[in-house]
Amino acid sequence: MSLTDIVSLLISAILLAGLYATMSYGLALIYGVMKIVNVSHAGFMMLGAFAAFILIHPDYGIKLNPFLAPLIVVPLFFVVGMLLEHFIVRHVMNAPMITSLLLLFGVWLIVQNIAYIIFTGDTRTITTPYSTMTIPKDLPTDLKAVIAPLMADLRISVNRLVVFAVGVVTLVILQMFLSRTYLGKAIRATATDADAAALVGVNTERVRMIAFGLGIALASLTGALLSLQLSFDPSFGGSHQLKSFTIIVLGGLESFVGVALGALLLALIETFSVMPPFNLPAALQDFVSFSLLVVVLVIMPGGLIALLKRK
Amino acid sequence: MKRISLLIFVVLLALAACAPANTSAPTSAPATQATATRPPAGPATAAPAATTAPAAQGPKEIVLGAAIPLTGGTSREGGLAKKGYDLAVKEINDAGGIMLKEFNRKVPVRLIVYDDKSDNTTSVSLYRKLANEDKVDAFLGGYSTPLVEAQTLVPAEVQTPYISGGGATGTIYAKGNKWIFSTLASIEKLSITLMDWLEAQQDAGKLPKPAKIALVAENTSHGAEFIKGIVERATAKPDRFTVVLNEKFEINGKDFSPLISKIKTANADLFLADARQPDYTLMQRQYTEAGLYHKVVSYGPRGPEKAARDALGAASDYLVAANWWDATMSDPASKAFIEKYKAMYNGEVPEWYAALSYESAVVLFKAIEAAGTLDHAKVRDALAATNLTGQLVVGGTVKFKDNGQIDNPYLMTQNLPNQKVNLIFPKDLATGDAVVPLPKQ
Repeated sequence: MSLTDIVSLLISAILLAGLYATMSYGLALIYGVMKIVNVSHAGFMMLGAFAAFILIHPDYGIKLNPFLAPLIVVPLFFVVGMLLEHFIVRHVMNAPMITSLLLLFGVWLIVQNIAYIIFTGDTRTITTPYSTMTIPKDLPTDLKAVIAPLMADLRISVNRLVVFAVGVVTLVILQMFLSRTYLGKAIRATATDADAAALVGVNTERVRMIAFGLGIALASLTGALLSLQLSFDPSFGGSHQLKSFTIIVLGGLESFVGVALGALLLALIETFSVMPPFNLPAALQDFVSFSLLVVVLVIMPGGLIALLKRK
Repeated sequence: MKRISLLIFVVLLALAACAPANTSAPTSAPATQATATRPPAGPATAAPAATTAPAAQGPKEIVLGAAIPLTGGTSREGGLAKKGYDLAVKEINDAGGIMLKEFNRKVPVRLIVYDDKSDNTTSVSLYRKLANEDKVDAFLGGYSTPLVEAQTLVPAEVQTPYISGGGATGTIYAKGNKWIFSTLASIEKLSITLMDWLEAQQDAGKLPKPAKIALVAENTSHGAEFIKGIVERATAKPDRFTVVLNEKFEINGKDFSPLISKIKTANADLFLADARQPDYTLMQRQYTEAGLYHKVVSYGPRGPEKAARDALGAASDYLVAANWWDATMSDPASKAFIEKYKAMYNGEVPEWYAALSYESAVVLFKAIEAAGTLDHAKVRDALAATNLTGQLVVGGTVKFKDNGQIDNPYLMTQNLPNQKVNLIFPKDLATGDAVVPLPKQ
């Protein structure tokens, strides 16, 4: 492998990590605040992808700019998430964890089957004017003349770059919301100690509903972003959800910084495991991440953050 | 304890997530889409009697059956195959039906089509249903190698002839099954055609010798046969070809990024892949996103499909494909078919999926006519003895080998900008010269 290859793979891994982090934040948020594992995450990623498809694809007449679709998808699924929490999830909050796991697994299956009925099992792809553009090839001529020599043989997909940027902006907004607003602080307080938060006047039921809504909204955002890069059908999201589990377990289940680190680590492992000297078949990409999940659960249940703190 | 519960649950989820996409489709969703339903059967009798009694008048209709993927990963191709069958059935019925000498009259054809949802198990069940409940006189095949491979178990089981234009892999026909026939030449022959053409480009000085090949194929018998053909040629002619990457991928892939990274670092001259249309579309999209370039890029039999070209735009330009039929063919049979197809489907240009399913249905009609009866064994024998000329397939002749598969030559196409396609091989069919090496975009 040449140096350019290695740099190119590193860039790919970082772009992938941004997407993986966005994908996992919703799960971490819900687990942090409610102490439940939202296994319907995949279903809402898939619905987010189909919602973006409806907003973008010419057949549906709306023809929204692909990168504006999340502005509609995210608020819509925020409301859906809050309603789901209010009418269903809330009732199993005090039950053993397996109850909420099975309930949300059931929600996933229901969502998936509704999608099969509405959209059939056909594979969909969203193609945008940006889908096959790369930097520097598709830059304006003046800019290309400056940047192309600096990049040598490196090529960066415009689509992936924009998706990465949307993901990063979302995470920054989320982080600011959690650290600088009353509601965000209430969410963090509830995540840290719900009883203490209630004692100081935080409406923890309302906070949980909002946190669940945010988690579902982030799942739909990921679906909308992934739909711009990948093919999807109603079964979409299952393997991504498992990767999210790997990431949040790597990240220590409740830490957003840990999630970012976990996402980066998984993206690096996936990207470089198929290259020399490891040379794993590319078809084993999922095997790598799921093996990592099992290994981390068994030997490092506190995740990377616990490991760093111990040192 | 919590950790163990979580671990067990995660393993269960992994199994659910890794299950084939369409097994999770709702079982309660409408499972069938019949173009017609068979009239209620009379008193219980042996299977053939349902269509042959009363003997003096003969059957009211000849019932054919097919299970086609109308939803799921290969629904687009399955839909096109159905269009080809429907056109053939309409055409024969407009002419009064198929002449059965046994009854000295023409008998109309009714086709029952079920949706197998691109699922192997469903497909097998539906062919059994067609035989045991619908009492069909013969089967028309579905689409895609995995489905055809699965469903071709049934014809021998129920002693009913079967003909397909949707499953080319040679291993399907290498099992001594005397009841199945295919109007598609084998995938190994496709690889050989592709390599012959590449050698011709080398001889013309357009490609290097030896040329380094990055080879990827779907993890099916279709892909294995494609790889076998390429690797055998490269092994036999190391002065011409070196395979520097040989990888398989799962069909209906959702992300080929790691594979694309491997292709990129292999630094090959040629990128040869075997993929069905959804995988071809996603892989070529990610290939282009990654800024890759090879002197020749081919996805085996895929390339000129309209849906892929619409999705890929200029990223599909100059791809090379080896194929069984193309709408740019100008022989009389192809011209007549294109005209009829366009008239029936609002000007839509047919793709090979429709052409070869149409061809299969026509060959079956002629075999039934030659047999003069609906006796399954006699129709099977008539299919085996088929020797038709002036047909749609490349070369125009339909004649089956002992294994039931035809052995006609392939043609090769190259996508051009603005959705145009050139026939580039063989020379007598060519509509233009191949652009090799591919222009850097």
